[in-house]
Amino acid sequence: MKKIFATIIKEWILMRRDVGGLMLLFLMPALLIVVMALVQDAPFKDYQELRFELLLADNDHGSLAEEITSGLKQSKNFKVIDSLDGKPLTDAKLQELLADGQYRVGIVIPKGATAEVVNAANHIANSIAGKLGMAAFPTRDIRDTSYVRMYFDPVSKPTFRMSISFALDKYVTYSCSNILVKRLSRMGKMDVDTSETADFKKIFQGIGIHEEQLGNRFASAKLINSVQHNVPAWAIFGMFFIVIPIAGHMIRERDERSTMRIELIPQAYRFVAMGKIIFFTLVCTLQFIFMFCIGLWFIPLVGLPALYLGAHPFTVLLVGIGIAYAATAYGYFVGAMFKTANQAMPFGAISTVILSAIGGIWVPADVLSPMMQKISFISPLRWGIDAINALILRNGDINDIWLHIIILLSFGTVLWFISIYKNARRYSSGQ
Amino acid sequence: MSYAIEIKELKKFYKGAWAPALDGLSLSIQKNTSVGLLGPNGAGKSTCINILCGLVSPDSGTAKVFGRDCTTDKIYIRSQIGVVPQQIALFSNLTAWENFRYIGRLYGLDENTINKRAQNLLDRLGLDKHADKRVGRYSGGMKRRANIIASLLHEPEMVILDEPTAGVDVQSRTLILDFLKEYKQQGHTILYTSHYMEEAEQICDEVVIVDEGKFVISGSPRELVANTVDCKKLEDVFLHYTGHSLRD
Repeated sequence: MKKIFATIIKEWILMRRDVGGLMLLFLMPALLIVVMALVQDAPFKDYQELRFELLLADNDHGSLAEEITSGLKQSKNFKVIDSLDGKPLTDAKLQELLADGQYRVGIVIPKGATAEVVNAANHIANSIAGKLGMAAFPTRDIRDTSYVRMYFDPVSKPTFRMSISFALDKYVTYSCSNILVKRLSRMGKMDVDTSETADFKKIFQGIGIHEEQLGNRFASAKLINSVQHNVPAWAIFGMFFIVIPIAGHMIRERDERSTMRIELIPQAYRFVAMGKIIFFTLVCTLQFIFMFCIGLWFIPLVGLPALYLGAHPFTVLLVGIGIAYAATAYGYFVGAMFKTANQAMPFGAISTVILSAIGGIWVPADVLSPMMQKISFISPLRWGIDAINALILRNGDINDIWLHIIILLSFGTVLWFISIYKNARRYSSGQ
Repeated sequence: MSYAIEIKELKKFYKGAWAPALDGLSLSIQKNTSVGLLGPNGAGKSTCINILCGLVSPDSGTAKVFGRDCTTDKIYIRSQIGVVPQQIALFSNLTAWENFRYIGRLYGLDENTINKRAQNLLDRLGLDKHADKRVGRYSGGMKRRANIIASLLHEPEMVILDEPTAGVDVQSRTLILDFLKEYKQQGHTILYTSHYMEEAEQICDEVVIVDEGKFVISGSPRELVANTVDCKKLEDVFLHYTGHSLRD
């Protein structure tokens, strides 16, 4: 125990003397999480919280157009722009503005769109009236050119297009239903409120789709946002960058032969290795705590929501220790496997980037292809971020993440043993 | 007769090397003597030392230190020997004191013992005024002396020195040699490698010349000079047995 403690003290003295390195170890990942949270704020808000400017050219001026316009205007997601400089938007102007990239989405309601819907409703009403022996409404042939047109900025993502399309479809459906019910009620002279203000949304409010909580546990759970994803994700990424100082440190000690000195002291090597692992795991855990503190208290100062730690914040810390151990052991492994800093540094940095990319740090692993999702499980970062997500997004507890912690600890321990074996072999092979 | 070191038919071939590092080396060194292990570059001196302290395993043959096998009794052997490696095996960003405290702790020594022993060695090797400076800022001679102190903190029975005076000035070399003479007089065994023949003549009771991984000859410096034709000093003997060809 004294040998381990002596090693921790020695490592602390060495780290304290490298103030620049110490600052970089904490400040660079902190800067990274703030920048990434800010940069990815908009893409994460996407279709949840963002308010898009939507161009609308109404050539119809009928009830269909009215339904769509009022629906869009009531929505929190859209700011409807139907005129510019006091002039109503035209089809051509709308397309021009979208082509310039000034707006993301535009809707054109063609002339006669309402009439087309009325005609379609009449057709339906007539088919019912025919069976009941009632008088028919006047109709004409169905035209297929009066549909509502949507235009998108070419850089818009498919999911964005799809969500706008779904929203619009809903308003068109409401409008059609309204008109159809009016036709039917007029046909049967039924006592249905067919006034222009009749709200079929209210009538059908018990039917359809409504999002519900999964249970009490999720009552306070956070919807994923930029902070909830980026703070833990880039904190883990930053923690794994400890690979570089650890590997560099090990190679330097090997080059200056102080490792050989340790090797010559009876039974010291394993305690020194343990001391190093404990020390760097502590440093890495402090990094984790520091970065989560940034998420809790600094991130709100730059206009983003504060990080939510879930129902079991101390379990988050437990995961942090597991990740710190895995990251430290990985650094130890890289330092043991490579002979020179020129070999270890690029490998350490690039492999961390690769492990983070496949591990769901850059984008949530759920959006990766099925094959990449399977591959992602080899990355300790995947296990780390999954465990954190289970705690801070799903309000999970230790039962949800114990397997993740065991895998992180096993990953670290296996690498550590390989490193000790490699170091022992290094001398006997004369390297 | 009790031997500090007994080596029999030791062979070692490093992967990728073009010649064996040790090719059946045999030698023995008595306790409480100082022996110079001399040989040109690539003769196998460092490999021999690395096997003795258990850092390298031989391909065949046996190596014993104080009667214990070097491959199986590493822990005991390492507690009985102090190795002064050719390179400065210290933490350059720590001060000498910090290095000694750390190394002493790893040997399981308590704070008082470390302080007492380190202070004594610092005084004797002229580093007491510089002990609070970082080793990386030391001159070559100071680093060599600090390297010796770190190897002697646990008061080993035998000290193995691999070229301890390489690249140091005359003053430091004289101080190191005087220290080693004094250390020998205290009854310790010394195994010493060097390219400086006059050093070996000064401090060694016996020298062993090795070349190409094999034993060549051994004896006291005086005997070797006297028994070798046309040799007036140990360097002549060395060249007589190892030749003038370069060992690049």
